[in-house]
Amino acid sequence: MPLAQTSSIVPVVVDKALCIADKGCTVCVDVCPLDVLRIAASDDGTQTAYMKYDECWYCMPCEADCPTGAVTVNLPYLLK
Amino acid sequence: MDEILDGTTQIDCDILIIGGGTAGPMAALKAKRKNPEANVVLLDKANVKRSGAISMGMDGLNNSVIPGYATPEQYTKEITIANDGIVDQKAVYRYADECYGIIQELDQFGIRFQKDQNGEYDVKKVHHIGTYVLPMPNGDTVKKALYRQLRKARINIVNRYMATRLLTGEDRIAGAICVNTRTAEFLVVRAKAVIMALGAAGRLGLPSSGYLYGTYENASNSGEGYAMSYHAGAGLANLECFQINPLIKDYNGPACAYVAGPMGGYTANAQGERFIECDYWSGQMMQEFYDELQGGKGPVYLKLNHLAEETVAEIERVLHIVERPTRGHFHKGRGTDYRTEMIEMHISEVGFCSGHSASGVFVDEHARTTIPGLYAAGDMANVPHNYMLGAFTNGAFAGLDAVDYIKDVDFADFDMGEVDAEQTRVLAPTKRDDGIPPNQIEYKTRRFVNDYLQPPKVTAKMELAQRRFAEVRHDMENEMYVRDSHELMRSLEASTILDCADMAAAASLYRTESRWGLYHNRVEYERDDENWFCHTILTKGDDGKPAHRKQPVQPYVVEIDDDEKNAYANQRVNSTVAAE
Amino acid sequence: MTALFEDFDEIGELAEALDDPSPGARIMAVMELADSADPAAIPHLARAIADADAGVRKQAALALTDFDGPDTAAALVSALTDGDAAVVAAASVSLTELKDPAAGDAILPHLDDPDTIKLKACLAGIKELRRPEAMGPAIAALKHADAGVRAEAVGVIGWLQDQNALPALRDAAKDGETQVRRTALAALGFSKSEHAEATLVEGLKDPEWMVREAAAETLAKSGSAGCVAVLRDALQDEFWQVRLKAVRSLGRLNATEAAIEIAPMMDLPVPNLRKECAAVLGEMAVVETLPFLEKYKDDPDPDVRKNVRWALGKMAVQ
Repeated sequence: MPLAQTSSIVPVVVDKALCIADKGCTVCVDVCPLDVLRIAASDDGTQTAYMKYDECWYCMPCEADCPTGAVTVNLPYLLK
Repeated sequence: MDEILDGTTQIDCDILIIGGGTAGPMAALKAKRKNPEANVVLLDKANVKRSGAISMGMDGLNNSVIPGYATPEQYTKEITIANDGIVDQKAVYRYADECYGIIQELDQFGIRFQKDQNGEYDVKKVHHIGTYVLPMPNGDTVKKALYRQLRKARINIVNRYMATRLLTGEDRIAGAICVNTRTAEFLVVRAKAVIMALGAAGRLGLPSSGYLYGTYENASNSGEGYAMSYHAGAGLANLECFQINPLIKDYNGPACAYVAGPMGGYTANAQGERFIECDYWSGQMMQEFYDELQGGKGPVYLKLNHLAEETVAEIERVLHIVERPTRGHFHKGRGTDYRTEMIEMHISEVGFCSGHSASGVFVDEHARTTIPGLYAAGDMANVPHNYMLGAFTNGAFAGLDAVDYIKDVDFADFDMGEVDAEQTRVLAPTKRDDGIPPNQIEYKTRRFVNDYLQPPKVTAKMELAQRRFAEVRHDMENEMYVRDSHELMRSLEASTILDCADMAAAASLYRTESRWGLYHNRVEYERDDENWFCHTILTKGDDGKPAHRKQPVQPYVVEIDDDEKNAYANQRVNSTVAAE
Repeated sequence: MTALFEDFDEIGELAEALDDPSPGARIMAVMELADSADPAAIPHLARAIADADAGVRKQAALALTDFDGPDTAAALVSALTDGDAAVVAAASVSLTELKDPAAGDAILPHLDDPDTIKLKACLAGIKELRRPEAMGPAIAALKHADAGVRAEAVGVIGWLQDQNALPALRDAAKDGETQVRRTALAALGFSKSEHAEATLVEGLKDPEWMVREAAAETLAKSGSAGCVAVLRDALQDEFWQVRLKAVRSLGRLNATEAAIEIAPMMDLPVPNLRKECAAVLGEMAVVETLPFLEKYKDDPDPDVRKNVRWALGKMAVQ
């Protein structure tokens, strides 16, 4: 497969300690207009939301609607 | 999530509404209230809770026509003149006449408009020509309030399905083919009427940051409404009248002259002098903006540093909470303070959007397209300059009319072969082992849009664009490769964007005159009322390529006498010309 | 096949999760109850607003924004004395979202509450419900030590638009706090009475420019020919914002005798003010002002130019 693995710094950051994805919360994933967030399970079984696709309109529903204040939307580096 | 699954479901409904942003929810509510028995389905590529241009809210209405502040006649005149006369006034007038009822209804939904200390509407900018700006101090709750109404009305909501093609049969609408953006499963919807409310084609030009999603419009508004209408055979009007907006450079969000203007802010050149009118946006205004940027008097700025501290604080409060709240982060990151310095502005990438210009699927005053049973409303329908309130109001018109339409019709027969062909087209990138990812197809298309289609428009450049687009299309059809269903959604968007790029080039070449200021500034041609005082309608030709025709402007319902035309024309002339 | 349509779950089933030992799960339940938009969820949310976990209580306070009526209001009022400031803030905002006048039943008994924060939120909540019973407590609250409470009380009185409240508004227009005076003057706009006009005229002498601005602006609504003289004085105010509103109000009152004083203001270096002057001179169409307008018909500022030309056009027609 010729596709490259190019790194990218993503604008949406989730605080693991506050995220309640474990409890079935998917609010940030649900509300993203561009559908770029997903839930990841780590080896110890805990679950956290993260930004899977670097396709962010920096619009902020994920941050605004998160019930625990776990999500922060930064500006994409290219335009900040 | 995101793996590619097999599967096709078929459902039937009376009215399918595609797009749950602004116009769509209002269409759904109006239809359901008028006929509670109707099976109304509201479908969205994202989640209705936070989809569309007003995902995070809106800071105000720019075009409210409130009795006592403005009249439908005044408004219709202004829009006609702002659009260089190319307007079917019936639709504009009907909007102006009925939008106040919609404001009151939105107010009942819990969407709050600014009121004075007596609880009356507080319309800013008391002005002799008309007053249209109604701020929304808590405009961040718009989507929440709409969603609440949809749930109360028990509207059937389908999230994360992207409509890819409309189905037609018996010369009318038959339904739509949709694909799940997280599983790639198909959904075929048979519907007696379809209302399209898919927003602008906002991912057409490339923003100057180079970030694909750093667009002026919500980046999920990639123009499906335009592409689907085209492939279904509907007429699209005046696509050459591009959307180009003034904005905060790099951040690429609106400068919000509508917020800052009534409080004394304005757009200034490097000398701090105002150089454009700020009453409303027009192509002429954008031309002046462009000239200033290009003519050595730039950069261009949003000037607030002459205002009192209290006023700046109020502007900040509004701008940093509503519509694009990350704007506050942006200024903080750059260390810019409205109090001490002016904010650098720029012009946006090009797009199609009737909300701000006039490029849209052709509709009449009932939001009907040229295909029976197919409606369009909001940014994608060609009622000019209709902004958010226009989306709500025209969405309402569509919902109401669709309920009447479905009374007398049953489902139209369509060719199942179309569904098979569409599934093959959609899934093609999943059948390859490697190839070009959708983001590279998209980037290349959009870079060529910037290189060759951005005004001022030059014939030879636009012809080059068409050649380059054909090459990209060949690559897309034969080599595009996706790894999961999320990328599949992006591949479908890339295809839409390319369709829109083709239409943008073809429409711009067809109208051999200049009109609408910068929006359609063709350097080789002057304005030519004799030959081009008409709409241009683009359809899909028999050869599968864009075909064009002229369509007369409907007789005005609000006459504009020569005096007024001249008065406006005079106001626009710049100082050097006027002095001659 | 993934579920196609959004669910309309049974409220009772959703509410069961409110007893989950995990606060996260209870927060989820609260959000789902809110999305139901079903009034049957209100009692459950009222229970959640007393949850042991502050995060759940805050979410419940936010969730109640989606509902209305006395029960919703009562639950929100109960949260105003919460120990957690975030819960109080959320409940305060949700209270202002109420639309149903009946919701006021649960707020009215608290309009003399000794808790300042609670009182302020209750006044803000009752304002848009326009309950006449709120007038007495609101007038009493004008004497409150807290300026925020006094400002909210003025809001309540203004929305009730009751002529009997004019003396109270006149008192509030002399308040020690700028914001209260400003709001009180703006609240007089409903009344075309001598009393209102006299209060606004006094307001034009206020030491704070924002108060004078509010007075100058509101005189367009409440003023008569009698206030033209003071508005003309306000044309000399040191703040252009006040002068602008005075110009506008003189235009609204069609005080053509002021035109010749407004015209020279076109020479000042303030773009917003010059634009307003041109528009008002056009509305007044006084021949003597023609030379001033003529002088600026090619002004480099396009908004000024536009308004000047509009004004000249209007005068030519006459």
